[in-house]
Amino acid sequence: MSEADMAIIKPEMMMKSYIWLETADGSIQQVEQEVAMYCPMICHEVLQKGLGAGSSKNCAISLPQRVNPAMLSLILDYCRFHQVPGRSNKERKVHDEKFIRMDTKRLCELASAADSLQLKPLVDLSSRALARIIEGKTPEEIREIFHLPDDLTEEEKLEPLKNLMDDPRIRLLNRLYAKKRKELKEREKLKGKEVEERVDERSVDDLLSFINGKDHKVVKTSKSKKKNKKRKEHKNKVSHNLHSKQQGTQSVVDETASSLGGVSNLPSIEDDIFSLKTDSEDGYMDDGMDPALREMLDREVEDFARRLNSSWVLSSGQERQPVHFSINGNGATRRLTAIDD
Amino acid sequence: MGESPDLISDLPQSILENILTRLSLRDAIRTSVLSTKWRYKWSTLTDLMFDEKCVAPSTDRAVVETNLVRFITGVLLLHQGPIHKFHLSTSFLQCRPDIDQWLLFLSRNGIKELVLELGEGEFRVPSCLFSCLKLTRLELCHCEFDPPKSFNGFSSLKSLNLHQILVSPEAIESLISGCPLLEFLSLSYFDSLVLSISAPNLMYLYLDGEFKDIFLENTPKLVAISVSMYMHEDVADFEQSSDYNLVKFLGGVPLLEKLVGYIYFTKYLSIGDDPGRLPITYIHLKTIELYQVSFEDANEVLVLLRLVTHSPNLKELKVSASPIQLFPLEEESFDLFERDYLDYKLPRLETVRMTDVSGIRNELEFIRFLMGTSPVLEAVVVTSSLSDKDARMEMVVELLRFPRVSPRAQLLFLQD
Repeated sequence: MSEADMAIIKPEMMMKSYIWLETADGSIQQVEQEVAMYCPMICHEVLQKGLGAGSSKNCAISLPQRVNPAMLSLILDYCRFHQVPGRSNKERKVHDEKFIRMDTKRLCELASAADSLQLKPLVDLSSRALARIIEGKTPEEIREIFHLPDDLTEEEKLEPLKNLMDDPRIRLLNRLYAKKRKELKEREKLKGKEVEERVDERSVDDLLSFINGKDHKVVKTSKSKKKNKKRKEHKNKVSHNLHSKQQGTQSVVDETASSLGGVSNLPSIEDDIFSLKTDSEDGYMDDGMDPALREMLDREVEDFARRLNSSWVLSSGQERQPVHFSINGNGATRRLTAIDD
Repeated sequence: MGESPDLISDLPQSILENILTRLSLRDAIRTSVLSTKWRYKWSTLTDLMFDEKCVAPSTDRAVVETNLVRFITGVLLLHQGPIHKFHLSTSFLQCRPDIDQWLLFLSRNGIKELVLELGEGEFRVPSCLFSCLKLTRLELCHCEFDPPKSFNGFSSLKSLNLHQILVSPEAIESLISGCPLLEFLSLSYFDSLVLSISAPNLMYLYLDGEFKDIFLENTPKLVAISVSMYMHEDVADFEQSSDYNLVKFLGGVPLLEKLVGYIYFTKYLSIGDDPGRLPITYIHLKTIELYQVSFEDANEVLVLLRLVTHSPNLKELKVSASPIQLFPLEEESFDLFERDYLDYKLPRLETVRMTDVSGIRNELEFIRFLMGTSPVLEAVVVTSSLSDKDARMEMVVELLRFPRVSPRAQLLFLQD
């Protein structure tokens, strides 16, 4: 080729081609073609609509709604780095680790935007980062980070769904709790007033701390929780749960309803519910736990029962006789003391 | 009561599952307590990996076992939709009727990848496994495998890994031939296995155990082979076959790129009547690693030489001499190096690594041969097993004498 030919070709080779992109808010920008084409969605649009697409401001390629200008700029930075062919895997990894350092809100937006542009490597990268944020954290921490509403009822939190975690404790506490609920319900019926829910909330937090495998000695009582006030259907849920949990003791429930005032009936109910004869769920005995674990469990349950009682007495302002449960080593229950007025 | 909007729950399910699969199963399931929206987000995950870390640790084995069983059963019951991957790796479980039930459940839910690594014992794989016809990967460890007569193989299976499995050789053979798409095969921990492998799509073969006789009958696409062959007590068996094992084993693998052999593999290949020629050239073979080669045994050296000279694109060669002296032979003088391979060239060989060299004639001649035939040789690394300093020095002096065809070739000595 003559030098004149070379002179003509050179400027053309230096001219980059650009693609015009429009985000959902109407703003339009132009981007180097090779960078934009790194996104499969943009690539498909161009190929589908022919080479005219995105070649000028008027026929800019419109991007999906989930891609706002801030995210687009981030994604284009990502593409700009990765579309260069010569980089080593190590370089790319190092870049990605730095790139992904951002606050959680932007991380979620980035995952969403990358997904709508079908940029799978970036979706994987942001998902990995989000997983790293989630792993090992307690539900409270996760809710705080992602601003999740704590809108599950206590029963839902206690349901067997979570019995997958730290079993015997939960089961026993489930039973205790259900029993308390039932008594609460009966009280309402009799006295005709709504019971303060805050009683339950604290104890549920304790339960959750067991579930989360925290140090069992440290029992949190976080009063600053934002919990929803319970709805009316709460009561229905209680009875449903009782149904499923204590099919064998349905008659006992009825008994309680009719004779709430008398203390004398209660021992039989407790014993029936907690005794080894219960056919609902496996007996506490059969868990085969080693003695140390069982002792710890006994202590926690007693703690929990005590707290339930005391706070209930405090908040309702009644002189309802607190009922003491005690679980001794071999799983049988007995009432500790009779009650003062 | 903050007005901050939920950042994450409304992301598309595909992203959320992407995130959940990266958590441990335990953490993923815990997300069900976060909020109403998150209650069942985990339950459609298609990949479930279980091990004893899913439950709280305990010093009592029985407790861990019970909890783990409860956990897995609970997860399966709460799960929704198909399950594609199920991995269970734990020594805490062995024979339990629960495992049968889980496998039955999986067989009805489209299982594709099943990995079952149990503790030592004799768990008998239930018959429902053989109706999982969508299986693409199967890995079993410490099980008894007994397919029913009506079983015709897994038509979609690509990867098969059997480790310490109680199974009849006929069952393995028919299983392999009943899986036409099989690409990866690993058989380990077997006793005196006699096997004829017919797998037209097989690319990777890994064998580890006591094999009496292996015939690669139809494996034209094999790309990588790794064999650890242990010695059967009855040594005489090794000598009985009349076919040349080198041809029986490596005669039908023209696409081979990597060959690795341990323990008695080279000895195994050397057995049989030598036809004098190898009918095949390994155009793609780039790496040969043969360990525990007995250089005193002329037949073994011949195998090594044949493989090397029939691999024109060989790039990397690793050989370790054998400290295992089962048959202390008289060292045969080996003229082969001069006789047949005088003008031979190894045009692409770049690195040679020889370990456990004790300085016997054949070893040195082999190195001299390599250095004299490799024009692009860059490094010959020699590690000696000799403890005597003088003997080592003698060997080094000898090696330094050898002429080198490659100007860049370096001779490196490493201490053992």
